[in-house]
Amino acid sequence: MKTFEEKWTAWLDGQLTGRELQQFEASLPDKAAAEAEKEQARKLRELLKRELGAQLLTNEEFFNHQLRERIARENGEASRTGGRRAGGFAWWTIPRMLWTGTMSLAVFLVCTVLVMQEKKPAEESQYLTQILNARVDPVVSPNATVSIFEVKQDRVTVLWTEGLQSLPADYAAK
Amino acid sequence: MGRFPAFFIAVIVLALGATSARAAQTIWSGLVIAENVPQPSPIPPELTRIEGSLKTFFGYNQFQVIGHSEKTLKTGQEDWLATSKFFGLHVDARGENEAGYILNLKLYKEKELLLETDAKLSKRSPLVIKGPQIGSGQLLLVLVVQ
Repeated sequence: MKTFEEKWTAWLDGQLTGRELQQFEASLPDKAAAEAEKEQARKLRELLKRELGAQLLTNEEFFNHQLRERIARENGEASRTGGRRAGGFAWWTIPRMLWTGTMSLAVFLVCTVLVMQEKKPAEESQYLTQILNARVDPVVSPNATVSIFEVKQDRVTVLWTEGLQSLPADYAAK
Repeated sequence: MGRFPAFFIAVIVLALGATSARAAQTIWSGLVIAENVPQPSPIPPELTRIEGSLKTFFGYNQFQVIGHSEKTLKTGQEDWLATSKFFGLHVDARGENEAGYILNLKLYKEKELLLETDAKLSKRSPLVIKGPQIGSGQLLLVLVVQ
């Protein structure tokens, strides 16, 4: 059941129809004054629509414009950042990472082998005694010769002489 | 204890250890008569580490030291003499590096120079020089860094 105020508001807005409209208008004590008030309300509504509606539209466009710019700006930043991130991560795909790791390991092994090969002879020669030169008195032993041997069993270096003057057993005395 | 004092002490200990290790280098030089005998004497302890090589390479079963010298090198520039009754081995150290010593060796029979050689004696590699035949045996000159 609508109250009088509700019916009055609906009448002012032109929303009452049919029997309800007839009953309401019949119940008005001063219909001419009510009609005048309805006309004023209509004019006021039109004025408000015209004035406020235009202002609201301007604000709406302004806010829309601001929002669009902000969204566009944020989208642009997001896309640039995302692009960078995506670009950074996109290059380091799992196959490429595996490939890079394998290649690095291979390069490391090759370098290690090369270094070990270069170092090994130096180490061996470093730990073996070397004969730099040898001389036998040509007057005492004119047919003497010298040779150099390396006995790997105990890392012994041997200077082997041949043709030295033989001596009697007495020379073995302490 | 803080890190720095611990590190400092460790460095000092290592330095002292390295210094003492370098100072402890001794060269054993010997005149050895190698012979084949029915009852060979045990090999001298200084030659134990190269016993196999001596027997295999020279073909003798007994090795006797007739003269020797042990010289502890401090500067790497020392010289010394290992002598027997008739032979003298003069060793003149002329420098030292990480690998060993540079030596000039002269073998004398009494006052007669029989052989001279320059060698770089490694700390891990003994040097054996085949000298003259003496009777049925052989004179060997052996130098070992102990």
